[in-house]
Amino acid sequence: MTAPLRYERVSRWYGPVIALNDVTTSIQPGVTGLLGPNGAGKSTFLKLAAGQLAPSQGTVQVFGTRAWGSPQLFHRVGLCPETDAFWEHLTGEQFLDVLLRLTGYEEGERRIRTGQALETVGLTAAASRKLGGYSKGMRQRIRIAQALAHDPQLLLLDEPLTGMDPLNRRRVIDLVKRFGREGRTVLVSSHILHEVEAMTRRVLLIHNGRILAEGEVREIRDLLDEHPHTVSLRARNVRRLGQALVGADHLLSARFSSDGEWLTVQTARPDDLYGALPELAIECGVSEMFSPDEDLASVFQYLVGRK
Amino acid sequence: MTTEAPSRDTSGTLPFLTAARGVFDLSFEAMLWSRRSLFLALLLCLPIALGVLFHAAQAVELQTRITGRDLYQLLVVLFYVRNALPLVALFYATSLIADEVEGRTLTFLLTRPVSRASVLTGKYAAFLATALTLTLPAVVVGGVLLIAPEGAGALGGSLPALLRDMAAMGLTLAAYGAAFTLLGVLLRRPVIPGLVFLFVWEFLANLPGYLPRFTLSVYARGLLPYRSIPGLGELFLLDLEPWTCAATLAAVSAAGLLLAIGIFSSREYSMSQ
Repeated sequence: MTAPLRYERVSRWYGPVIALNDVTTSIQPGVTGLLGPNGAGKSTFLKLAAGQLAPSQGTVQVFGTRAWGSPQLFHRVGLCPETDAFWEHLTGEQFLDVLLRLTGYEEGERRIRTGQALETVGLTAAASRKLGGYSKGMRQRIRIAQALAHDPQLLLLDEPLTGMDPLNRRRVIDLVKRFGREGRTVLVSSHILHEVEAMTRRVLLIHNGRILAEGEVREIRDLLDEHPHTVSLRARNVRRLGQALVGADHLLSARFSSDGEWLTVQTARPDDLYGALPELAIECGVSEMFSPDEDLASVFQYLVGRK
Repeated sequence: MTTEAPSRDTSGTLPFLTAARGVFDLSFEAMLWSRRSLFLALLLCLPIALGVLFHAAQAVELQTRITGRDLYQLLVVLFYVRNALPLVALFYATSLIADEVEGRTLTFLLTRPVSRASVLTGKYAAFLATALTLTLPAVVVGGVLLIAPEGAGALGGSLPALLRDMAAMGLTLAAYGAAFTLLGVLLRRPVIPGLVFLFVWEFLANLPGYLPRFTLSVYARGLLPYRSIPGLGELFLLDLEPWTCAATLAAVSAAGLLLAIGIFSSREYSMSQ
């Protein structure tokens, strides 16, 4: 069976900078994590699949068709872009309706799909609010909604969990896993191993525009566990969050931001931290979290040095 | 998510007009209620203020050197066709794609099963509709204010001329709009070159000889019969047939838009965070 997404000796450069270097790979149905530090080439990899960029060399094929210059593919492809930008004057509902209309759906069908997509990402209550008034996490979720509203067979998600609170992270992770189980192809990029690991075991490691490794996530996970893992959390009651975490034996350090809204912690066992987060999210009102890139970058440095 | 509706054809892009209409509807409202429109509406309503002033001058029996009709014709030719409409076209049309790029929303349009030709055409149509929505009411109100003192009969008799003037303005907007759409997809910063085009290149229309034929202005002004305005002398040196002018402007509109579509279709637009 032909893979839904194929890269054949693909290189892409921007002037003198090589973003992707002679990449040959196939993405099979199911969920694949595209893992690499910032600047590794993840977004370029996805943009080539989404036909936003043309390869400088080689070919990218989606369902057997060249990705560049084939807009008809977007009947079957959904892209959740990394950019946090919208037509701010539209409501969430109008935004999805406009994009479904441009995907060829009639009004009745659009209404049904808009409702379903909003419900899937937990934005039904905010359907008639203007996008300009959405929080960062809501904006991320509506981006995901537009990518899946037309029921695509290939879903490209660029850092989809950025800025989300733990509960919605869980929701999106479950959604991605469900899509994978349904036999769709999902390619999800992230610079956070634990995010990817929660969605799939299959990863593509990318660094400096090259595919370092493809396959099981276990080996890289072991390496990551040797490194302290940093997570920044924004909470309504950040002091209380600090108190709740400070007794945990996996915690290496904790630091409050100067504005008193964020807590940045270093942990020796990320699993324990992530496991405790849903409960803490409710208790302390955790609204946003992110993990800086340095941890993964150091693992990649280690991997590259080892090769 | 529901399953695929059986009637939907997913083998190709959406029909051109369906897609262009979708883009038009999305863009028209946003353009019409933008800050840019507010500024341009004020500019385009300037003749109304002049009309009111003219009325006020007549009410206090000030001696005016030209009639209201003369002033209307002057405004149509020199204010609208020569200056205001090209400026309106410049500010809207150069930003049709640039606004989406700057706002990083173009990704949403380019990741739909629609041709880029339909995206640009829909946006161009939205520009035309917006510009006409702002321009035509101002022209009508200004015209009525300036011609009304001649009496109801004169006003009624001026209706065909008013309609012709509005059609000429539409064609002027279409031609300049297409030229500036082309400039907008060609250059990263098109406004300054556009202004140079308007106020340097288009100035050639006022020169004698063959050179004015290479300007849009000469054809736009040639659509109107207001050659001679008492007290201001002969304004135009070239005497072109209105139909020749109309055909030329239509050809420029089509060619400009087609070239712009060609460039837009082959360009990469990658939005970065």
